[in-house]
Amino acid sequence: MILSFIVIPLSIAALLPLIGKFSKKLIPDLLTNAALAFLLLNSILLVKPILNQEAIIQNVNWFGEKINLQVALDGFNLFMLFTISLVSLCISLFSIDYLEHYGHKAGFYALLLVMIAGMNGLVLVPDLFSIYLFLEVAAISSYALVAFGLGYDELEASFKYLMLSVVASAFVLLSITIIFGMTGSLSFQAVAQGLQDLNARYVIGVCAAFFIMGFGLKAALVPFHAWLPDAHPSAPAPISAMLSGLLIKVSGIYALFRITFSVFGVTPLLSQVLMALGTVSMVVAALLALGQKDIKRMLAYSSISQVGYVVLGLALGTPLGIAGGLFHLFNHAVAKGLLFLNSGSIQHITGTRNLEELGGLGKRVPITAGTNLVGALSIAGVPPLAGFWSKLIIIIALIQAKQLGYALVAILASILTLWYYLLIQRKAFFGKISEKWSKIKEAPFWMSAANIILALICILVGVFFTPLFKTWISPAAQALARGIQQVLMWGI
Amino acid sequence: MVIQVLLLCGLIIFSGLAILFKDLLKAALSLAVASLFLGIVFFRLNAPYAGVFEISVVAGLITVLFILTIALTKKDGEVEDSKLVKVAFPLFFIIFLIIDGLVMKSLLLKVPTLPSGPETGSFGEVLWKQRTFDLVAQIGVILAGVLAVLVLFRKKEDDKDE
Repeated sequence: MILSFIVIPLSIAALLPLIGKFSKKLIPDLLTNAALAFLLLNSILLVKPILNQEAIIQNVNWFGEKINLQVALDGFNLFMLFTISLVSLCISLFSIDYLEHYGHKAGFYALLLVMIAGMNGLVLVPDLFSIYLFLEVAAISSYALVAFGLGYDELEASFKYLMLSVVASAFVLLSITIIFGMTGSLSFQAVAQGLQDLNARYVIGVCAAFFIMGFGLKAALVPFHAWLPDAHPSAPAPISAMLSGLLIKVSGIYALFRITFSVFGVTPLLSQVLMALGTVSMVVAALLALGQKDIKRMLAYSSISQVGYVVLGLALGTPLGIAGGLFHLFNHAVAKGLLFLNSGSIQHITGTRNLEELGGLGKRVPITAGTNLVGALSIAGVPPLAGFWSKLIIIIALIQAKQLGYALVAILASILTLWYYLLIQRKAFFGKISEKWSKIKEAPFWMSAANIILALICILVGVFFTPLFKTWISPAAQALARGIQQVLMWGI
Repeated sequence: MVIQVLLLCGLIIFSGLAILFKDLLKAALSLAVASLFLGIVFFRLNAPYAGVFEISVVAGLITVLFILTIALTKKDGEVEDSKLVKVAFPLFFIIFLIIDGLVMKSLLLKVPTLPSGPETGSFGEVLWKQRTFDLVAQIGVILAGVLAVLVLFRKKEDDKDE
């Protein structure tokens, strides 16, 4: 059932604080991972119906009484659900060992599940105000999770994140208010139809600008990125992976492109603005990443840069560009999830994230070093790893659309990406090992296992990318490329 | 008309009190009362959706979260009285009124709108039968808020292993 993506994590999150009273580790670990494994399986089982029908509209009755719990599933949001379930399951597996020194596992898992329910809800609801509410569900739990360690840096980063996120929410809400005032409706379909009838280009432009500012802040696009390099490194590693791997994509990219493509209908001007923002993010964040000494801070800047690629591909608006953008979204979610978890392993092993203090770790911790290399090369776009194909598709799409300037910048930014990821490799894993790291051991079992699973996905998706592309990416890209026709055919 | 003006006056007075009260609990309750006034204004203007959102989210949910957090906070940090707030709030309010009077009215009249019938239904019908998903999301918001309070105000002994 589609609603299980929201109901199951919320229900388990409500139970976990009580369960945590008598079982602080085992049952919370089991329950959370089992729930996420079920959601992953559920998303895989929904592929066939979506390939057959293109969209599923499901309405739920409450003991025979008609209520409005309507969800709309098409290729685009199923692809997002699959990505969320897959990456969050690996993150949850990693947390089994990683949270040992934090404690209070039940509370952590409960907030993590609420965040996942919020993201799933945001992806499933066909209504502007419900999107805003689920955005807040995911955001509130993420503020608490960033501050989970309760240290000064965590609390400061969480507060900064909260303040900028509130500004983002205000812009989103303002735009929703204007649209509601104009069309008298909030559902995607009615709003899309209403805006077509009104033909109010300038007001739609203002609403689109507010959405770009709001969701751009959530997605941390340059120049709305100031909060991310503080918030993501300060959080515990699994939360950094959630935020960089999933949250900025769901509450930023998904929401922005679902609304601009499926509700407003993308215009050439809107497309150019988004492409420019994507390109600026790609280059500026890559240059900023080069100067970082803290691994997680470097990864945070890298996230901004890679989100730029996703935005550039999606905003291009051609079927190939959208497919490339979505494929890169998936690849980045997996690889960045891997790299943030891996940075957690490094910190767990050595007690530091400072690249200047590390060196030669590869000889002592081959699993951590090997998986880091795979994630880094995948994001940098080295063949035959997954990231290579997605970047290649985006660049081919740009060349096909005669956007040669953007294509050139994308290639150059990719070289910059490779440069700073090789810096991590050289400073942390290669070279002569320092005396103080001579007795370090590999990360605990579940932490290494999560890293290995994500690294294997990076490799296997790269080698066998055609079936994944046909099953997940193509239906998602088609759903988005249909524009407002997609929501008009839902018949809600 | 008189009731409408009284409601708006109540809204402004309690909003002001929410900012000026030094006691956080009183400030939170003032904000809730202000939201209640605003919710009633929405209902009277035939906008039950907005009324439902305002009363359930701001007056209900957010107040609960504020009071929970205040209850869990120790009384060791005295809040310093800021003169800036006393000056800044009325100044901001006056500037807002001027901008509102000069710009917003003419701008809003230019925004095209679709003719739509007034929203119908009681509070319960709107919330339960038309905006059910928002109810689910609000449960999520409450849960996130409560869990955040539990996790961020946890005691060290909670972290001991089993």
